[in-house]
Amino acid sequence: MKTIKASGIGNPIDRIEGHLKVTGKAKYASEFPVENMVYAQGVNSTIAKGKITSIDTSEAEKLDGVLAVITYKNAEKLKNYPKDMTNFSLTTVAPVFQDRQVHYYGQYIACVIAETFEQAQYACRLVKVTYEEESPDIHLDKNRGKAYKPGDSADFSRGDMDAGMREADVTLEQTYTTPIEHQQPMELHAAIVNWNDGKVKMYANQQILNQATTSISETFGIPKEDVQIITPYIGGGFGSKLNVYKHITMATMASKMIGRPVQITVTRHQMFTNTGMRQFDEQEMRLGAIKDGSLTALAHHTTSHTAKNLQYFEACGNVSKMLYKTPNNAVTHRLIPLNIQCPSSMRAPGEATGSFALESAIDELAWKLKMDPIDFRIKNDTQVDMGADKPFSSRLLVECLRIGADKFGWENRKMQPGTNKKGNWLIGYGVSAASRRAPYMKTSAKIVLELNEAALNANIKMDATDIGTGTYTIVAQTVSEYLGIPVENVKVEIGDSEFPVTPGSGGSWGAASYCNGARKACENAIAELKKKQNITESEEIEVAELLQQNNLTTFEAEGTAEPSEEYKKHSVFSFGANFTEVWVDKDTGMYRIKRMVNVGSAGKILNPKTAYGQIIGGLTMGAGMVIAERTQVEPNYGNFITRTLADYHVPVNLDLANIDVVFLPEEDKIANEMGVKGIGELGITSVAASIANAIFNATGKRMRDLPITPEKLIEAGLEPGVA
Amino acid sequence: MRPFSYTNAKNKEQALQNFTKTSHYLGGGTNLVDLMKEDVERPDQLIEVASLDYKQISKNNEGGYTLGGMLSNSETANHPDIRQNYPLLSMAMLSAATAQIRNMATNAGNLLQRTRCPYFFETSMPCNKREPGSGCGAKDGMNALHAIFGYSEKCIATHPSDMCVALAAMDAKVEVQKTDGSSRTIDFTDFHRLPGNQPEKDNTLEPGELITAIHLDEPKFSDHYYYLKIRERSSYAFALVSVAAGLQIKSGVITKAGLAMGGVAHKPWKFTDVEKYLEGKKPNKVNFKAAAEMAMQDAKPFEGNKYKVEMAKKAIIRALTQAFEREA
Ligand SMILES: Cc1cc2nc3c(=O)[nH]c(=O)nc-3n(C[C@H](O)[C@H](O)[C@H](O)COP(=O)(O)OP(=O)(O)OC[C@H]3O[C@@H](n4cnc5c(N)ncnc54)[C@H](O)[C@@H]3O)c2cc1C
Ligand code: SF4
Repeated sequence: MKTIKASGIGNPIDRIEGHLKVTGKAKYASEFPVENMVYAQGVNSTIAKGKITSIDTSEAEKLDGVLAVITYKNAEKLKNYPKDMTNFSLTTVAPVFQDRQVHYYGQYIACVIAETFEQAQYACRLVKVTYEEESPDIHLDKNRGKAYKPGDSADFSRGDMDAGMREADVTLEQTYTTPIEHQQPMELHAAIVNWNDGKVKMYANQQILNQATTSISETFGIPKEDVQIITPYIGGGFGSKLNVYKHITMATMASKMIGRPVQITVTRHQMFTNTGMRQFDEQEMRLGAIKDGSLTALAHHTTSHTAKNLQYFEACGNVSKMLYKTPNNAVTHRLIPLNIQCPSSMRAPGEATGSFALESAIDELAWKLKMDPIDFRIKNDTQVDMGADKPFSSRLLVECLRIGADKFGWENRKMQPGTNKKGNWLIGYGVSAASRRAPYMKTSAKIVLELNEAALNANIKMDATDIGTGTYTIVAQTVSEYLGIPVENVKVEIGDSEFPVTPGSGGSWGAASYCNGARKACENAIAELKKKQNITESEEIEVAELLQQNNLTTFEAEGTAEPSEEYKKHSVFSFGANFTEVWVDKDTGMYRIKRMVNVGSAGKILNPKTAYGQIIGGLTMGAGMVIAERTQVEPNYGNFITRTLADYHVPVNLDLANIDVVFLPEEDKIANEMGVKGIGELGITSVAASIANAIFNATGKRMRDLPITPEKLIEAGLEPGVA
Repeated sequence: MRPFSYTNAKNKEQALQNFTKTSHYLGGGTNLVDLMKEDVERPDQLIEVASLDYKQISKNNEGGYTLGGMLSNSETANHPDIRQNYPLLSMAMLSAATAQIRNMATNAGNLLQRTRCPYFFETSMPCNKREPGSGCGAKDGMNALHAIFGYSEKCIATHPSDMCVALAAMDAKVEVQKTDGSSRTIDFTDFHRLPGNQPEKDNTLEPGELITAIHLDEPKFSDHYYYLKIRERSSYAFALVSVAAGLQIKSGVITKAGLAMGGVAHKPWKFTDVEKYLEGKKPNKVNFKAAAEMAMQDAKPFEGNKYKVEMAKKAIIRALTQAFEREA
């Protein structure tokens, strides 16, 4: 039984898929050997608004190897968006080439299909397009009049904001901005699509298979059962691979037209223009508190942009409804339609950006109150989610803050900025509180048991995906735990839409949902086997023995796990605290993040190693929000000026130094039977604020517009009250 | 990419003879190949010159050293003779790009790398440098990365190289072979040019001229030097502004100064006046500050790059201070 202990849940085993990945054996979407395959490439518009007046594909078609060029002229009719502004959801259709309209710069306007990738790429350059250009809406400022409320969930209020502000001894009104960002996972979006006899089979790196098949089936008007997606490994998504994007539609249409399997790989440049992004958010914060530090009012108003024909908003204000005890609260979200591609979810949508505004504002108010920012947060802690009027299933935020402070050495922080110096460096400490909803959703799995001599092997199947997080490993560990067999005896098969349905990977629900689904399948198998032999449920017996008693060498069972009634009566969140030490150069505005401590309470940690990977990845991405990540829009033409990874800067090793991650032990059986909570997004949440707060502590400058670049730091003035 | 032919030149003569109007020499390819993928450069023929035998670092007749044109940036910057005699050059070169890119990049290619102006890279945008007569997108668009000195109506781009900033501060010379078999030597300050009416021309090379060497005169600034590069992340980013500062100091007085900046003009910007001003002065805060003010007095920034003036002043003062304070 020793091996079992070493591989069950909670153990930091190496990834079972790790070796396949580092040896290149793990196959990603574009890597499957498919016979008779051809290559497709999209052509992008070079205007942001207008009408195509002509497309000349003759030169491209003449090129050796070119099989076809699809444009609005010869594209098949697909289900289009409804006339009114549609919510961009996981199952939204992905029509392409349905008319001559161009809504944003980089929109696909043609697709070339050729025998080789190189031929397709070259032919794209030979497609000649003319437009009737219109002046695009690009600036938020020039289009403020068009702001609208995107549905009922956009606004929230409790108590009386104005009364709360009047009651306050100290108030703060400030605006924070976060830029457009791009997910840019390492693996490009890609697919190999085969349309055969009305049925579609594709290798495609989609994060959520059950939703993606719906989107494809509705786009093409074919039954969902006739769409199969296979994706054993995904090289990162960060939200960009949640939705079905139009390259999938182009390749599917092409395969149908040509009658051959079609491979499409989106270029890095198209990863900016055609596969979603985080939107720019302008967040106005109003806060009030009385002298003892109790919050009396908190408002969070977000203005952002959306596409002309699709609607998406990240709910920045949600964090302000639930994180602190405050009697008076108001949250709004407004959108302005622009000729820019539709934004989409990027790691911790709403929370990553909303927490920057909230946790910066909290720090600012603490400074005005002359209170330690940790004490201020603890003073306003709550065990009730006032936004949802439900108790938290578990909330260890105060513990995260206290333990983190201890580990970090918070007591050495100097309250007065600019007083901790070393040579040319100004040293600052910053803190922030993190929270992220820990959703859990209905999940099914199928388990096949096989007795080989006396050894029990298990094969688990589900349509889960591994976006680089370690799904294979934690599912194997779960099966190992619930069947009492070594992890080596477990085979995990995921990434196929024909397997039992799961909610897929996204929104930090993957781990909790997948593992509970796997657990349920194991439990069902055991229960059914016991029932056959009239063994009571409580009796302890090895699964191998159960099979033997049943005279079976193989047995199959399915299981579906879903949230309980208790779950629905509670607000289920993961919590955390971030601590950052930054060194800012007093003259040049350059800075280094010297160390970070992250303390998280995220339920049962399935595998500390993979969990650690999630948190440091999140922290690095959070640091990226501060250091340099931003996509800039050209003000006259509406294209993205940042268009490669050479100018879209993500952090480098030298930007960040030591990262310390602590998980608090937490039992939360309301969250789900296994007590697992998501951590995929917790790590990025509020990191930006802890760094910006540290920069304030170092320099006395409040940086409210991300990213915090050297030029902004040089130009910023000192905050009132800074000596 | 568009189709092109490829020749691996066996010797200098082959490279020069094969050259046509639509050819490009290929060094490490770290800039040229990117630009071909972007459809900005469209050569019919690539003549690989990276393997030609110009890969030495040797002593020359001026008491200095000669760097082979085809030697990699890494090998140059890490060479013991360069580290010891021209540490300012080494420091500047090592601040550029990443180890991988420096391993591929050649010294000749580094001199000829093209601007990082985003309009230049995007073929759907107007850009006089890429397509003469199409207009300058940056002038009325996004110009945070652009010039504050020496630009023209036609182009406001900057030269992105770090290596070249140090070379400008050190008075180097570039040796080139001509297609007719002769060769010539160009003063480094005359090598790159200002955009004027011909922004498509980055430098004063004639078509087909092949760079084979960079000559440095006697060792310079080996005790007092600093290359300061301000950028948006700690590595792997081009400079917003950069300063190469070198001082020779005798009995507490500056006897020779070298000062050049990157990220401020179409060519590495050498402050000859400021160098003169500093000579004979004491290396102290007051003089460094005066030098910075003097350097920036003619700066004319655009809407998006106003920050550069203040940043540059701070950078100059800091670089001179670091150069002075460096332990000899
Ligand atoms: C992502 C990225 C980041 C970078 N960051 C920096 C940075 O921070 N600082 C910096 O200074 N640089 C940076 N670089 C640029 C890099 O230094 C240059 O790309 C490199 O020096 C070019 O050298 P190469 O040999 O690869 O030139 P190539 O790309 O081969 O050639 C460049 C040009 O020179 C011509 N050429 C090459 N050899 C000769 C020759 N012998 N004679 C005549 N013509 C010749 C070619 O025809 C071409 O026009 C970066 C590059 C990239 C891609
Ligand atoms: S600054 Fe020069 S390179 Fe940039 S758009 Fe203008 S002309 Fe082109």
